[in-house]
Formats: sequence, structure tokens, C-alpha cells
Amino acid sequence: MEKIKHLYWRAGFGLSPTEWQQKKDWPISKAIDELFAQARQAQVSLPVAEMGLPEDMEKKRENREMFEQMLRDEKRRIFEYNVNWVNRMANPKESALLERMSFFWHGHFACKPDFGKLGIQYLNTLRKHALGNFRDMVLAIAQDPAMIRYLNNQQNRKEKPNENFARELMELFTLGRGNYTEKDIKEAARAFTGWSSDLRGDYIFRPMWHDYGSKTFFGKTGTYDGKDIINIILEKPETAQFIVRKIYRHFVNDQVDETLVSALSKQFYQSGYDIGKLMQSIFSSDWFYAAKNMGNRIKSPIEFTAGLMRSVELKFDQPMGMLFIQRALGQILFNPPNVAGWPGGKIWIDNSTLMLRLNLPGYLFNSTEFSLRTKGEFEDEGREKGNRRLSNTLNLQPLSSSIKGNSSSEIATELAKYLLLTPTALPIENYTKELPASDRESIIRQLTMRLMTLPEYQMC
Amino acid sequence: MKRRNFLKQSALASTAMMIPAFLNDISFGQLMARRAGKVLVVVQFSGGNDGLNTIVPYQNDLYYQNRPNLAIPKTEVLKVSDELGFNPALQALQGLYDEGVMSIVNSVGYPNPDRSHFRSMDIWHTASESTEYLNSGWLGRYLDSNCTGCASPYQAIELDDTLSLALKGEKRRGFAMSDPAQLKRTTDNKILQAVGKTPSSAHHEENVAYLYKTLVDTQSSADYLFEKSKVYRSTVAYPQSEFAKDLKMISQLITADTDTRIYYASLTGFDTHANQRNRQERLLQQYAEAMKVFVQDLKQNNLLNDVLIMTFSEFGRRVKQNASSGTDHGTANNLFLMGGNLKKAGFFNGPADLKNLDDGDLKYQVDFRDVYTTVLNRWLDAPAPQILGQSFKGLELV
Repeated sequence: MEKIKHLYWRAGFGLSPTEWQQKKDWPISKAIDELFAQARQAQVSLPVAEMGLPEDMEKKRENREMFEQMLRDEKRRIFEYNVNWVNRMANPKESALLERMSFFWHGHFACKPDFGKLGIQYLNTLRKHALGNFRDMVLAIAQDPAMIRYLNNQQNRKEKPNENFARELMELFTLGRGNYTEKDIKEAARAFTGWSSDLRGDYIFRPMWHDYGSKTFFGKTGTYDGKDIINIILEKPETAQFIVRKIYRHFVNDQVDETLVSALSKQFYQSGYDIGKLMQSIFSSDWFYAAKNMGNRIKSPIEFTAGLMRSVELKFDQPMGMLFIQRALGQILFNPPNVAGWPGGKIWIDNSTLMLRLNLPGYLFNSTEFSLRTKGEFEDEGREKGNRRLSNTLNLQPLSSSIKGNSSSEIATELAKYLLLTPTALPIENYTKELPASDRESIIRQLTMRLMTLPEYQMC
Repeated sequence: MKRRNFLKQSALASTAMMIPAFLNDISFGQLMARRAGKVLVVVQFSGGNDGLNTIVPYQNDLYYQNRPNLAIPKTEVLKVSDELGFNPALQALQGLYDEGVMSIVNSVGYPNPDRSHFRSMDIWHTASESTEYLNSGWLGRYLDSNCTGCASPYQAIELDDTLSLALKGEKRRGFAMSDPAQLKRTTDNKILQAVGKTPSSAHHEENVAYLYKTLVDTQSSADYLFEKSKVYRSTVAYPQSEFAKDLKMISQLITADTDTRIYYASLTGFDTHANQRNRQERLLQQYAEAMKVFVQDLKQNNLLNDVLIMTFSEFGRRVKQNASSGTDHGTANNLFLMGGNLKKAGFFNGPADLKNLDDGDLKYQVDFRDVYTTVLNRWLDAPAPQILGQSFKGLELV
């Protein structure tokens, strides 16, 4: 039961009450099979809307107001894709594993798309390769218009190479710092010249801008293009180690077990960078379920929000409510702080984010008005108003029918088994005192809110 | 009433006052904590303030050529030196300049400047190279450096509800608070009050223990800061703006001898791509009028020699105006220091070079990390090279 909960919180965003009731006694292998089967059946490619008249962009640029209106519209579309994504994460009908993996890759191949079409194409790239082959994924990312724009590769031309993409490719996406030289970056940048995007937001190779000359990269010489560079990078076992270490830290434990990572890296390398196989192997190992690897991870703001939504069928009346939480807690989808992604762990927590996390269940359950202003955008003039109410609906019916027991302490015990992944600091009776409720429904409501207010609820 | 009397009274008052019951195990002594060392106030202009229309090179023809309908006419400039003058909206600062409590450093920036707001702000916050990504801020790492008092959760306070990267260290974080009374309301949650009393021996997992510690620290800080915020009421009249309210709160906390050495406040909206003049001047005026009163307030309490105020923005703007009577993202910019202990009041260095540009942008003359180095070494008594990750010479600023 603990193992099932652990698996679903790491490979997905927790279980809905109905899933919990149905799956809690499943053998792990059955659950893993189901997660992967769901991912295989999922609709990988999300519909791509056309870009907001990009051909007119130059014309629009001349007209500041039109141009700014267009930027605002595009921002709104990105926000819509953000909200849809969190809704999918919270929805038991979607493939939890696929959403989780693409979420992980979003943090790895971190990118801030500025147009709706670029955003959804980029997400589709992540989804398509999320459990596929890492080599294909790196190549697809190198040709992804959102990334090309984000890392200035459309300015990477033979006459004046721009090294930004080549640098991040090696430093953050594949090899990791210390495994290449500045000379390697310069040569790799030349190989990616002309990998560009057009005004419709599609990938385009511009032969006029490409440097067809000979390059010397990691001691080898040839007339390499970007694909060759990626192949050479992936020949290096350091790439497998770098990726596996990152996956281990995200899915298993922030404290790395070097022996395990080294063995997994070998497997990953030998499999030709098969991501699905690697994940299957992690989720199926005994050590994944060792006590020290369970309940020790501070949920990221997105994991926290999606998990909470899934548990109580929380729906925001205003999608802005969800954006507010992301902003205030420091993780906005399609808007990582920089190309290095979200650092995670204790860094999520300061006095302000912790108090909001702990108070949030109360604000949501009671629709309380509270005051908190976020920093907003650089373009905004002045500060936003702080007072707000996160209007929402929640449905505790499924939770109520999946939880056994009648007395408050029985209910609390059952709820803690479902909601918490780490033991409570004090015996459960400490949290059932002075309940302002007598009927079963209100007891469940009150206790759910209380347990969600505990720091323990922040862990997964 | 003199500050000493305020303090005396407040000390008596706090002793006599009811101490919230749950504070018993946190130590009553904490409410008595006092500041050890000088104070740094950082003011951030978010959005990229146009430095050239802030401190105006009114004798430079290039300035007027590049900005045909955006330049401040010579007649309107408040001339403070032979070459440079203030934007008229900064009139309130002229007195501070004349008194020698303001120092202006021109052309501050860093190598390979980034013109994205986010990225450039990150670079200023983390003090990184422009090709390097750090997860911790320079003031956060100051808190990490085992300075006296740094273990206290409110050693560095940001006047806002969310915490900036500048104040996040590897191990320690600054404290975000827009208003002590409101902060206190967030800790009023009855469940959390009870949870905060959990004995620390009950947590075995490191991350859980960290969450509990942060919770308890926040609860005790909320009480301490709430008490401190009531000790002294400014007797000077502050303007009504949010920014002025923040400065007033800072002044009240400093005067109450709060155990805090760093305060962080910001003013936002400087991203003036279109119709710049009104917008920028409204903000500059807000800034100048609030600063004037703030400095006066500190001076009146004999605290100006203990306080250094540093104002910066993530970048300046391009030399040439754009087609919308605004300016686009640029590079080097001016930075202001205020306080009673300045080594070189007035202009620290010469005006920006408008002739020798880098693709239409100013070339930086002073690395901002040299400013940080001086602030850390000389003002905060902290080891700058360790905090910044490399050695800078520093400047004769304070």
C-alpha cells in the first residue's frame, strides 16, 4: 500500500480517492504495467493552433499598440496551455506517467516559449520523446522552434556564430559542466549554424547560414553538422551519467547513491539511451521502495497543486487562481527561471512560500479572503492588489466513500494513510482534537483540511 | 520624543506585555534581540530604468541627437554639475545631493550584458557571470557566511510577500514581509499554532525537520516583527505611495533597533518602451519624494551614519529612442548610494560615454560586483570573495 502510493506520487501526481481504493492493494508490477500501458495509449500530440499572425509581425512591430496586444494574446494562450496541463496532471483519465515525464523534461530542457504555437509544439516534442529515445529527443529539441528562439540559434550564422545553444546543450542538456572545453563549444556552435525557425514558427534549415567547413570536436575532425555533434556527445558515457543522475535526483532521492547511478548509467548507455526502459527499471527495483527513498521529497509547487486537485477534485472558478498559486510558490509552467530549470528541494521553501502552502488548504476549503501580492511582470506598473479569494469547487464525495471508519480517529488514521507519505510527527489523536463537526461528512472535510495543513503533506 | 526614550519605553512595555503562550519554548529573549552592525537598504527599480533620462548629460549633443523628442530639454534639467543634471522629477533628491549624502556611480554593468529582464535581474541578484546560472543570491550567500546574527530568520527582510532570488542562500533565506500585521495573520491559523508546538525531536527526516523549523521561525519572527513595528511611529509625513509605505516601515524597524541588517524594497514599472516620459517621471518622483522623507527620518534619529541605501536596476536603456517615444532594453546604468558615510559624495565617476558604444548601447565602466564587494567588505563586514565566488577590487565608496 505504501509502495503503491510512493510509485504513483513519483511516476505521477498521486492517486485520486477512487484510484486509491481500487489500486492500493495491487502488486507493484501490475501498477507499473498499467502506468506504461496508459502512456502508450495516450494522445501524445496535442492540437497545434496557428500562430497569431506571425507573418504580419514586422508590420505589427511598427504599430506598438497592435504589437503589444499580440504579445498579450500570445501570453494568454501560453497561460491557457499551462492551465490545461495542470488539469491533465490532476485528471485520473490522463496518463499520469506521460504528464510526469514531460514535466520532468520541461525542467531539463527548460524553455520559455513566447508564442502559443511554439509552446504547444515544444510540449509536443517533450511528450513525443518523454519515454522514448534520448538521442531522438536531443535532436528534436535542437530543431524545436521555441528552443531555437529561446537560445538564440536563429542568430547563429556562419559569419557570426552564436554559441548560446551549443553551450547549454553541453552544460545543461547532456554532458554537464567540466566535461568539455570552450573550444568544443565554439566548434559545436558552427555545426548548428543555420538551424533556424521561420515566421510561421516552424523549423527551417537555412543552407546560406550554415558553416559547411571542417570542425574539430572532442579530438575528431569532420564537416560535422548538428546531428553529428549530438551523436559524438552521446558517444560519451558522461552524458548517460549526467542524465541518469538528474533522473535519480528527481524520481528517487536528492541524495545520490553513486553505485546505483553508475550501474543505471551503464544500462542506459548500453540500451542506446532508451528512456522508457530506464524508468521501468527504476520503478521495478527494490531500492526504489527503500524507506530512505520514500516520503523524503518536498513537492514542487506543480506537484503540490496537481496532487491536491486530484485528491479533492478541486476546480478553480477562475483559471487565474491556478496561475496565482504557481507564481506565489515559484513554479510557472512554460516559464522556468532560466535555461537551468527549477532547482527544487529546499529551495522551494522560504517563510512566504511555506506559509502559503500550509494555509492554502484552509483558503481553498473555506474560500477565505487573504492578502498576498506577487511580484508580477516587469511591464506592470505598480504593484497588484493583494486581497484575493481563490473561488473554487471541491468534491469530497469520492474521498468520503473511499475512506473507512466512523469515529474521528478512525477516519483520521485512514485519511493519513491516503494523504500523507511520511508519518505524522505526533500520534494521530493529536490532530483530531476539538473538531468543529459531528457528522461524518464534516468530520472528513475538517480532517482532510487539517492533514493537508501539516508540513508532512508537503512531502512525497 | 527621542529615540532612546522610545526604546526604553518599548523595552519596558515588552517585558510587561503579555507574551503569547506558544512563544514560551522559543525564548523570550528573542523579542529583545537587537541589531549588531550597520544596515544596508537595497532598492530595486524593476523593468530597466532609463539612466540617461534620470541623470541627464545635458551638455552632450549626442544625447539630444539620439533622442529628438525624448531628451529632457536643457532648460528643464536640474543642473547639479557642469555636465550632468537630474531629471526634474528628482527634485526632492537635490537637497540630498547638496548635503553630500548621495553618491552616483555611472556606467555600472557587467561583461556580455543580457538584455532580457529576467536574465539580467538574475545576474544582478546572483552576482554571476552572464554565462553562468546560480541558484543563490548574493545577499542569501551573505546570510550563509556565518556573519554575526545571520542565523536569525529576519536578518534580511524583503518588503514584499514573495522573496527575491537575491535573498535566497544555499542554506539560509531572507524573510519576506510586506506588512507585519498581515504576516501575523498568516501565522494565526489555529492548526498551525498547534503544529508549531510539536517538539523538534519528533522529526526524523531532514526535509520534514526543515519545514517545521521554517514554520516555527516564521511564527516567532512574525511576533517579534509585529512587536517591533509598534515601537516607533515616524514623526515625519511620508507620501501615500506603496513604496513610501515600505520605506516608512523600514525606518520604523531600524529606529526600533530591530535585529535586521538588510532591507530590500522595490519599485516597478520602469519598462518604458512607449510614451516614456510621463511614466518614468511619475516613478522617479515617487522614488525621490519617498527617499527624501526616509533620509530625513533616519537623520532625525541619528541613524543616517548607520545606514547605506543602494538603488539599482537590471539594466539601462538604449541610447537611441525608439519610434514610440520610448526606449528599448539596454546595458550599463547609473547606481545610487545614499547615507551619512559616503567616501565620495556627488558623482563618483564621469558621465557615460555616448560616443563609444557597443552596438548602440553603453559600455560598462564599473562592474556591479565591485560595488557589491565594497558593500560586503566594508559595510557588512563580510568576506566578499567567498560570497561572490571571485575577487573584485572594490571601490572607494564607503
